[in-house]
Amino acid sequence: MGVNFEVASEAGRRHGAVKSNEESFEALFAAEYARVAGIANRVLADPHEAEDVAQEVFVDFNRLHSASAPYAAAWLYRASAHKALNRVRGRRRRERRELSQATDEGSSTMDPQHVLEVNESRRQVRQALARLAPKPATVLVLRASGLSYAEVAQALGVGVGQIGTLLRRAEAALRKEVTRGSSL
Amino acid sequence: MAHLSEGTLRRKFDDEDALTDSDARHYSACAECQARYTALADDALAVASALAMPDIKVDVASAFSRVRSAPAAQPRFGIRLPIMRPASRPVMGGFAAAAVIVALVVTAFAQGALNFFHPETVQPVAVSVADLQSLSGLSDFGTFAWTTKPEPQLVTSAAEAATVSGLHVPVAGNLPSGVSKTVTYAAMPAAVGVFTFDASKAAAAAGKAGKALPKMPSGMDGAKLTVTVGPAVIEIFGNLNGGASSDATQLNLPQLIVGESTAPEVTSSGVTTQQLEDYLLSQPGVSPDLAAAIRAIKDPSTTLPIPIPVEYATHKNVQVQGVTGVALGDNTGLGAAVIWIKGGTVYAVAGTLKQNQILDVANHLN
Repeated sequence: MGVNFEVASEAGRRHGAVKSNEESFEALFAAEYARVAGIANRVLADPHEAEDVAQEVFVDFNRLHSASAPYAAAWLYRASAHKALNRVRGRRRRERRELSQATDEGSSTMDPQHVLEVNESRRQVRQALARLAPKPATVLVLRASGLSYAEVAQALGVGVGQIGTLLRRAEAALRKEVTRGSSL
Repeated sequence: MAHLSEGTLRRKFDDEDALTDSDARHYSACAECQARYTALADDALAVASALAMPDIKVDVASAFSRVRSAPAAQPRFGIRLPIMRPASRPVMGGFAAAAVIVALVVTAFAQGALNFFHPETVQPVAVSVADLQSLSGLSDFGTFAWTTKPEPQLVTSAAEAATVSGLHVPVAGNLPSGVSKTVTYAAMPAAVGVFTFDASKAAAAAGKAGKALPKMPSGMDGAKLTVTVGPAVIEIFGNLNGGASSDATQLNLPQLIVGESTAPEVTSSGVTTQQLEDYLLSQPGVSPDLAAAIRAIKDPSTTLPIPIPVEYATHKNVQVQGVTGVALGDNTGLGAAVIWIKGGTVYAVAGTLKQNQILDVANHLN
């Protein structure tokens, strides 16, 4: 089977696969970028960081896969959710700093107490989400981002009949995880 | 009637019409299911509210230009197995060319109106490195183009490997002690290539080599062979050095590789199988020894030849998973492999283990 792979790569290089893949990649980007960024934003609650994540996801995809692959969209959705969740896991320290900044910045236009509560609530939800196992966290993020049961199933590589159960368990788990710190 | 499952109730939350008629009748009469639904809906609403987020506004054009200006992409060929590390690539390239040419030659033996080749057993064909290096590939005889390009890729799980390949991903039920349980998966959907004979190319190649091109039978010029390879799945056991999956070129030699691929299929048109056999076997690039070995295969219409470099490996027939396969023992003592075909699928188990350990893993694949 390694033989096939070797033949494949040589043949692909010989027959101008790069150009057609470039065009396919641009079309894929135009079709899916907003949704991929939206999924990351669902996790991060930060549009700028979400776009960073989405662009990284597309760069990774383009390095490893063909844009005409039938699984392209499913791969992008899941990668976006995973990468964004990983960022949340790694940014606890930064969030504490931002929380204190938000409190200062909001003082001139909004009730400081309200800003504090909104930020704290978002932070708790995202941290709880990032503490869940990858599969339930991804199910929640993708479904909340508007993907259909079939699309979520494809992104996770599971049968569509499992999505209802996965969603139910993930929602109960998230609520329990958040409730440990505050009320949801 | 049993109560409705959590999944069914959760689906009802998203789609009121999702219940079957019998489920709907049960639900309307069951206070317990209704109470479970109320609790579940409360959770679902709370989570939806917690994860609610305004639509993100994006500028796709500028985002695309940022992505295009990212550091140059590596070759799209996302996986290089350890056995294809640079030092071994010239040999592997020749090996690949040999495998394809041998598959094509075997096509020539295929009998029947459909000119169809679908192997059911494997047969070793001993070849020398000189044979491998002299086979410069199909480009000497014509042009080769993929109608469905091979898309090998690293994937993150067995489930994803199954999704990409459509194959059942084998599970190694009996790993020798010392073999890591860390598994890296690679998968490839089926790929289809068409080889078209080209008289002028074959003549030019033969002339360049200072050899005369055998006279091409009528109809050979422009004749087509359609080759379907894969889908395929590879499982690599062992802790790999590369870390990020995007750079799989620095892998350690794995302890164990398990591969599975739908057996290649080849169909031909434009020429008869006998013409193909005679013509390909008489090409300057096919040594008399290789031709003789290919001719020696007993049932060529259903046999997949496995080219084995004689300087590197010995081989013998073994019983594996209830069929006859080929076991390869590396003369250097670095590893062993076993290859077999069962139910139209080619399986291979290889690694830096003893041959009896490899055979044991092969016999316990589920």
